[in-house]
Amino acid sequence: MIQLFHVSKFFERCTALHDVTVRIEKGECVLLTGPSGAGKTTLLKLIFGAEIPDEGQILVQNRNIARLREADIPYLRRTMGFVLQNFKLLPKKTVFDNVALPLIIQGVSRADSKRKVGEALKAVGMNHKHTSQTGVMSAGEQQRVCIARAIVNNPIILLADEPTGNLDTVLTSEIVELFKTIHARGTTVLLATHNQSVVEEMNGRVLHLQAGRMVSDKGPAA
Amino acid sequence: MRRPLYLIQEAFVNIRINRTSVMIGIITTAFTISCFGLFALLYGNLKNLAGTLQQDIEVLVYVQPEASDKIVEGIRQRLEGEKAVNVLSFVSKAEALKEFHQQFPDESTLLQGMEENPLPASFVVQISPQFQESDSIEAFAERIKQFPGVEQVRYSQDWIDTLALLVSYFEFGAIVIGLILAVATITIIANTVRLSFYLRKEEIEILRLIGATGSFIATPYVIEGALLGACGGALALVLLKGVFEFFLLEINASGWFSGLESVLIFFPFQTSLFLVLSGMLLGCGSSIISVFGLMRVRNEAT
Repeated sequence: MIQLFHVSKFFERCTALHDVTVRIEKGECVLLTGPSGAGKTTLLKLIFGAEIPDEGQILVQNRNIARLREADIPYLRRTMGFVLQNFKLLPKKTVFDNVALPLIIQGVSRADSKRKVGEALKAVGMNHKHTSQTGVMSAGEQQRVCIARAIVNNPIILLADEPTGNLDTVLTSEIVELFKTIHARGTTVLLATHNQSVVEEMNGRVLHLQAGRMVSDKGPAA
Repeated sequence: MRRPLYLIQEAFVNIRINRTSVMIGIITTAFTISCFGLFALLYGNLKNLAGTLQQDIEVLVYVQPEASDKIVEGIRQRLEGEKAVNVLSFVSKAEALKEFHQQFPDESTLLQGMEENPLPASFVVQISPQFQESDSIEAFAERIKQFPGVEQVRYSQDWIDTLALLVSYFEFGAIVIGLILAVATITIIANTVRLSFYLRKEEIEILRLIGATGSFIATPYVIEGALLGACGGALALVLLKGVFEFFLLEINASGWFSGLESVLIFFPFQTSLFLVLSGMLLGCGSSIISVFGLMRVRNEAT
């Protein structure tokens, strides 16, 4: 599903990633851990094509990211879902409009959109708020909407960058449960976090990064 | 169907968010298009005026004072045989004197002391449309100068030629000014659209993140630019119509150039439509120039 071969990425005078090699299989749940600045976000950016590796190769669904034309990147991203710490929602639009956006981009019909958005909102427990504006919602609710948007087009891979960074302990547990449910449906989940409780609750394969290097790769606890 | 509707809605959202800049953009675009339109209007009317004058061109063939009736008849017959002659009329010496008194009643005393009528008889020739070119008229005049009994041939070609030259200068000027103002309009609209783009930068990042193509992101901005350009063109048309009507009123009120108002014309429907469509196309072009340069998907998304 995702393969990195000796990947390095440099930003001016700092090394964001150094010689990272990893293989993530379809349906795996992988937690990317490490302190701030370890290279977690850079690794995610490389996977969704926002950055090009300076060294090494990245294959995502058998497509070489470094060789992918810019015009093809949007189509790669349509097979992925993204959940971010700062939600990245359109604050003046309703929950429904935010979640439907990936479907509009893909030209899905109104009837199909309505059905798929309804299913995604139901999965995150937000179907009762589909007409609310996201800008006035709590952080937990916004993150649920963000997750609904990420899963609305049934992505093969779900990438999450510190999805619980802005949430309290209770909300964090709720969001982790959502990720576990999504993973249980067969979606490959790659979640970057420095929150140890998230790592423990998710119980997935843990890749630990430190100063751009992959220092450990541990499977889930039995 | 949903996607086009969404893109149009987003264009209107852009305009609403960026309304002050859009208004300024429309007004400045209208003024620049008006400047070009004013020049085009002036050019069109001068060309029309030149055409009208050319159609009415008359050649005056003055007969020698001592010419006998037979010679005068000979001139008439030869003129009637000319293909260039459309309408031919004869003004006798007595009719010329009568016309003089009618046209210049205050100057009538000038001829009172003279025993004999000094005004010559003449033929007035209206030229056929196919011979109204400057060269044809000149050749015709040269030919009839040689007729026996012809004293002088006069026609008002010189200043018609000058007018034609002026029209050609205006034509060149309109092209040059049009190009300069097109660049100015493109710059204005491009900057307005670019501002819209920056005001919605975060939204654009979100769209990129979830797989929107460059054309999907750019389309609302192209629509915004087209609307801005079309509105600018339409406003320019309204301004020009206002200026034109005001000018006509002034001409009527002052009494100068009486009769000119019947010759002056505003843009016909097709030209008016062309002006608005030009604004629209300039807007589209400006947006494409402005936005597609910002469409990089790498190193931009979060």
